[in-house]
Amino acid sequence: MVRIWFTFFAVCGILLPEYCFAQKLEVMKYLPNSFEGYRVDELLDYEGEALFDYINGGAELFMSYGLKGMTGCKYSGDDLPQITVEVYEMTSAANAFGVYTQSRDRDEHDYGQGSQSFDDFILFWKDRYYIIITTHKATPESARAMKHFATRLDRAIEKNGAIPAIISALPKKGLADGGYLYFHHYVWLNAYLFIADYNIINITDKTDAVLAKYGEADARAYLLMADYPAEADAMQAFNRLREKFAPEKPEDTRPLLQLEDGKWFSAWQQGRRLCAVFNGATAEQVENLHKVINNLKQK
Amino acid sequence: MGNITRRELLKQTAIMSAGGAILLNRPAFAWADEKSAKSRVVLIRDQKLFAGGDTPDAGITERMLDEAVCKLTNKKSPEKAWASIIKPADIVGIKTNQWNGLPTPPEINDALKARILGAGVKAEDVSVDDRGVKRNPVFARATALINTRPMRTHAWSGVGSLLKNYIMFAEKPSDYHEDSCAVLGSLQELPTVKGKTRLHVLVMFTPQFHHLAPSKFSPEHSWKYSGLLVGFDPVAVDSVGLRIIEGKRREFFKEDRPLNPPAKHIAMADTRYHLGTSDPAKIELIKLGWDETSYV
Repeated sequence: MVRIWFTFFAVCGILLPEYCFAQKLEVMKYLPNSFEGYRVDELLDYEGEALFDYINGGAELFMSYGLKGMTGCKYSGDDLPQITVEVYEMTSAANAFGVYTQSRDRDEHDYGQGSQSFDDFILFWKDRYYIIITTHKATPESARAMKHFATRLDRAIEKNGAIPAIISALPKKGLADGGYLYFHHYVWLNAYLFIADYNIINITDKTDAVLAKYGEADARAYLLMADYPAEADAMQAFNRLREKFAPEKPEDTRPLLQLEDGKWFSAWQQGRRLCAVFNGATAEQVENLHKVINNLKQK
Repeated sequence: MGNITRRELLKQTAIMSAGGAILLNRPAFAWADEKSAKSRVVLIRDQKLFAGGDTPDAGITERMLDEAVCKLTNKKSPEKAWASIIKPADIVGIKTNQWNGLPTPPEINDALKARILGAGVKAEDVSVDDRGVKRNPVFARATALINTRPMRTHAWSGVGSLLKNYIMFAEKPSDYHEDSCAVLGSLQELPTVKGKTRLHVLVMFTPQFHHLAPSKFSPEHSWKYSGLLVGFDPVAVDSVGLRIIEGKRREFFKEDRPLNPPAKHIAMADTRYHLGTSDPAKIELIKLGWDETSYV
């Protein structure tokens, strides 16, 4: 159900005490009713698919990660550009982290557990929350207010969420800044390069998957790792990948081959985990990634 | 298209001529059906469009539209060109786009409306609308539609395209979201739409080639391309627009950065719904005006 309140405090002369409009999400009670000329003039509260009413198809990104709901508000003020604060509550910290990895280009740490800021918007994640603060026009006043709202929300969310374990398995050396994406919906499989136009490795909401970029842009390899609920699932995914990408090596448990574009491909299975490297500039680059991942596993 | 992998595409590309590697972001191009006639798409650009600031010049906008439509229809004057598209007895809905961050510029809506009125259509039989099209009485009676919107990256469909612009005609738009909006081509089968579209105008004035926060306009990732794409084939027009977006992304990121997710619906509109062609070899692209860094 969608509930939107338009509250024109100044016109109505109603002075609401700070924090009085606390809604479903506890964190919202930490946003002020007013700040340096800004006043709340609209509250936002969307549950599940009702988010379509707010951002149409853009809502699917959040749905693909497991969305509980979004609350927030819009601030306006005389001669001040409007500011919108959106707090997306995901079903888990891992999912909030996943949405964050979709939307950031580089990792900054000004707010929460990871953030990125521009003059006209701030986004960050913390625990199971993904937060976007935007304005239509960046001004010194809007910048101060946006930072204030971000800081308050950051403080309001008391604990940090756990980063998915698969992220710690990524080799650090050569990893591009902000160069990985955590997901468990197959539509994101092609985020960095085209792999397949269907769910070739059977990614479901019970699969933890990550795509990562290694090396410089002109010699970039892409690592795909996916953790399945059971070893048999990982084996099935590996077999499908090998069948389609390395049909000339049907028995090889770790096929390594140069494809038609001159780039190197390899894939292997480690228990419940599937690993694959695409677009390797050299066989050595692919082998090195395999060695690091294998060593990490043994530790 | 269906169940295509990177490896299969690489094999196909190896067989095709050099330069085919670019196909990796648009796999459907390799599987487009053979068609005898090419789809004509006109790209017109004017470097002076934004000479006055951030608002497009209305006079230049009108002239760009006129020249593009004349070229598209092979007519010598805008009047003759529009007469070949719209009849005085038509009831015309201009399907625009009101997305807050990057709406169809009012200068385009105004120019289209002026030309439709100039073609003899009564004022009460023309309407410009987006989110209200299902309740709009002119759209309910419409015999002709003009489809116009700006192109931008989109968090679920890859790009906001002409094909996607008709989602507001759907009873429940979210029914078309499955598989990153792959089925958007089926919107053309809706009774309120089918067979009515007379012209597609993809606005490339300030396209958005990337975004960070989902569904938020990202001025850092839009640029003054100052162009219009005009055609009768929405798939062809969208696919040219897509190549421009991809070209800008390659230049900006200094690497081949595919859209995330891919704009699958454009390829599917070709291969599954047969609404037009996404194959550059089957598109007659006519370029007018400013040609610097056009990406196509």
